[in-house]
Amino acid sequence: MKRRFIVAWIAVIGVVATGVTAMGHHSSAMFDQTKTVTVEGVVKKWELTNPHSWLWVEVKGKDGKAVVWGFEAEGPSTLARAGIKPSDFKEGTKLTITGNPMRNGDPQAIWVNAVRSADGKKFDPRAGFAVK
Amino acid sequence: MRFKRVILRAATLSALPLLLSACVSASSPPAVGPDPAVGPKRTKEQNIELGRQHKTAAELFKFLRDEAKGGKKLEWNRLPDWSGVYSRPLDRGFNFDIDQPREGPTTAKLTPDYQKKLDKRLADLKKGIEWDPISTCAPPGVPRWLTEPFLREFVVTPDQTWLINEMVNDIRRVYTDGRDHEPEEDRIPIPNGDTVGFWDGPRLIMHTNSLKSGIYQRGNPDYTDQVETVEIWEKADDKTLGAQVWVYDPPALVEPWYVYHAYGKLSDPPRIRYWDCGENKNNSVFQNKDGTTEFRDLGYQESKTEKGK
Repeated sequence: MKRRFIVAWIAVIGVVATGVTAMGHHSSAMFDQTKTVTVEGVVKKWELTNPHSWLWVEVKGKDGKAVVWGFEAEGPSTLARAGIKPSDFKEGTKLTITGNPMRNGDPQAIWVNAVRSADGKKFDPRAGFAVK
Repeated sequence: MRFKRVILRAATLSALPLLLSACVSASSPPAVGPDPAVGPKRTKEQNIELGRQHKTAAELFKFLRDEAKGGKKLEWNRLPDWSGVYSRPLDRGFNFDIDQPREGPTTAKLTPDYQKKLDKRLADLKKGIEWDPISTCAPPGVPRWLTEPFLREFVVTPDQTWLINEMVNDIRRVYTDGRDHEPEEDRIPIPNGDTVGFWDGPRLIMHTNSLKSGIYQRGNPDYTDQVETVEIWEKADDKTLGAQVWVYDPPALVEPWYVYHAYGKLSDPPRIRYWDCGENKNNSVFQNKDGTTEFRDLGYQESKTEKGK
């Protein structure tokens, strides 16, 4: 999986303070946490698994070609603590999603936040680490 | 005959309140809670000094047991209330010592070799080079176990207490039935080691040895397989369970590392589900020769799971 994409059509927002990295089991050093990418697309698949969940989003580029982006988050219980449920992302759900991209240019990122187009609901997976 | 029956009825009636009381006691024992602790409460500075005064974790544990006059076995109707689901807050980062500034130097006093190791780890991290030893789904192990930010439950019984971390379905068993550690020649190092303890009122005081080497957390120092801990667990308030922890590890630490860990009780916790680290192949990673971490076979596949359908 060494696909590299020219991501000119993606908004690179610049340096951000990301706070908490993905904690499941592996290092997050393969992601560039000084950068964010934001894409609009539709949900292809919602994998709620431990130690990490993956939200797969199909994004159409300016050339009309579709690329499926993967956004990594924590496992189901941490997401539940953030108010994120299995039913929130059915296949075809439209959304805008932001993440810290892979350093190697592959279309994956740590999921930072998302907004569901239909109702404007916001999703912040890292809120699942709050103790309340 | 009739006289006898009257006497029996009267006796039964007079005993009724007692019988009823016994039934109520059997179904819901009065929650009287544990006795007060015998040993004193200490400040962080006093605990740091207490660690310095004892050369080994075993010596410190013995001192605390003597101070508590041997401790007292819990009774079923006097258990401390550790019910609920807890988690370690991450608002101050996930260093082993949350008093350490997020990007600041470690509060551990490391030997020169282990300071060098840590310096290299932090320098590598800036270059995107990092490998976590639990990347292959190994358990975090003690003392790292204390830092993980996932859900925790605590099961207290007179003979054992179970400290449960959701991550990899991880249980630390603390034996409080009076047994000692395994004999030294029969010890087998395991991630959570061997833990024995005693109760001093509401405090669980415990000693762990037979541990494996590891890291305190990503971006934190290493510990060796000589590491041992002494811990005092106690409710700090209704919503907080705290652990005072001394770590002894002579090859890596110049002096014991004292750290306080606090776990907050969640008001609306989710269910804890089984943690199957291998259920999604997109989470499989490997270490490159340069030390970087790479996903093994990451990518979207049409029929990987049924989730989201």
